[in-house]
Amino acid sequence: MQTEKEQSILSIRDLSVWYGDNQILKSLSFEVQQGQVTALIGPTNCGKSALVRCLNRLNDFTPDFRFTGEILFKGSDMYAEKTDTAAIRKQIGMVFRKPRPFQCSIYENVAYGARISGISQSSQLDDIVQKNLQKTCLWDEVESILDETPEQLSTGQQQLLCIARALAVEPDILILDEPCGELDPIETVKIETLVRDLTKDYTLIFATNKRRQAARISDAAGFLYCGELIEFGMTERIFTNPQDTKTEQYVTGKLG
Amino acid sequence: MTRPKLRKKIILLSITVIIEIVALIFFWNALKKTDVTNGQASPALGTSGGLPNLLGDLNLILPISFLVILLGIACAFYVEEWLSATNWVRRFIESQVAFLTGIPSLLYGLLAVAVFFGYAGVFKATLQNAEGSALAGTPFQRNTALFYTETLIFILTVMPVAIKTTQTALRSVETPIRESAYALGATQWQVLTKQVVPRAFPRMLAGGCRAMARAFAAAALLVGIYAWSHTMELRGFPDRFMLFLGGALLLSNASSFLTEIYVPASTQHN
Repeated sequence: MQTEKEQSILSIRDLSVWYGDNQILKSLSFEVQQGQVTALIGPTNCGKSALVRCLNRLNDFTPDFRFTGEILFKGSDMYAEKTDTAAIRKQIGMVFRKPRPFQCSIYENVAYGARISGISQSSQLDDIVQKNLQKTCLWDEVESILDETPEQLSTGQQQLLCIARALAVEPDILILDEPCGELDPIETVKIETLVRDLTKDYTLIFATNKRRQAARISDAAGFLYCGELIEFGMTERIFTNPQDTKTEQYVTGKLG
Repeated sequence: MTRPKLRKKIILLSITVIIEIVALIFFWNALKKTDVTNGQASPALGTSGGLPNLLGDLNLILPISFLVILLGIACAFYVEEWLSATNWVRRFIESQVAFLTGIPSLLYGLLAVAVFFGYAGVFKATLQNAEGSALAGTPFQRNTALFYTETLIFILTVMPVAIKTTQTALRSVETPIRESAYALGATQWQVLTKQVVPRAFPRMLAGGCRAMARAFAAAALLVGIYAWSHTMELRGFPDRFMLFLGGALLLSNASSFLTEIYVPASTQHN
């Protein structure tokens, strides 16, 4: 138990979230372990996105957002006063459901994170771009069109580009908010393979409403339903021996 | 895909601009034939030609409008990016902008003439020649007085439109784009300068043009009304009338063109 605590990179304690008068999340607590894929499963509108957006303080831009509870990142309170939110977001990257590449060249898309961190040497940028595009298995496809805009890429390629863009900032944690929501099955397989590869270097949080996908790729899983964390544990146990009846109904397809 | 479309738009714009210029020249000639300018103008006033008048007007208008529009854009940035929707300063500014943009611009022109020129006594100062008058060397020489008047009127006429259009331009940048940049650890300033402004820029420019067109249209109307009722004291008409009318037309044209250039990313993907 002690070793498990030491590996914990992100602890969510008693987190409740409101948008205006709507309570979106009700008193969640769980730990994200370093080097694992933590899946958050649950039907649409169960609060997955609201939860992951709390984890890198993107909710700060949502009007009427308020919360109670604590989120500890590497032991320190993420929402403490005087926290450098930009620095937090550099360490906790995020990829969204719909790929949104910037309207500049593919190269500049990946180099964006490095540029805002102050790297401007072209040789260094070249390395960063190549390394991250190779990591996402996109290098061979786009090597010849680096100076063109990402509009011509397929949705799946655009999503991979967005992942490369997020990885180029060198985050500790990468949040993927339904990254396959807009993709076809072949592209989905690519992303899933990539996610498994990335666990060597990163901690991943994977929000999805596809229960089978979570079962395939995650180490730990949490089941969210109507803003409540019904159950959290190792993926194998959640899917084979769920403690809660709702979880059982969900993983067997009777609910949601 | 986008380039041929853009070229087509530029060609279309050029055609409309050429048609406008030709129409304006015909109109100008027609006006000249009625002899409005040369009617009974006194020799002292009639000596100045059309071109110096026009250049003088532009010399006065362009710096002021530049400053006022810049101020409006800065104000819109502050309101839109730094103040929350419930902030009372923002609500105050937005309500005032809505109120001021709702008033026809001609009324501001009349206000300028009535209050700033008439009531405030600026009008007298402008009528007097600098040399030999009691006001010589004081700030109330012709151009200075005009400068203040025009700045105040521009703040009322041009700035609300500039604020409104800039706000719309900033809102037109999709939230996901901002969020993606924020999620990469960009600061608010970096998101603004590298993502939002480049995308919103054509629309901001269009807004500036629209704001200016409003002022020009009001000026053209005023000059026209004034000229037709006081032909005797006329200088530089219809040159000025044509300048303002032409300016208003061209600016509104440029505004719609610039709005057309920008195609949101979402429609490009689909």
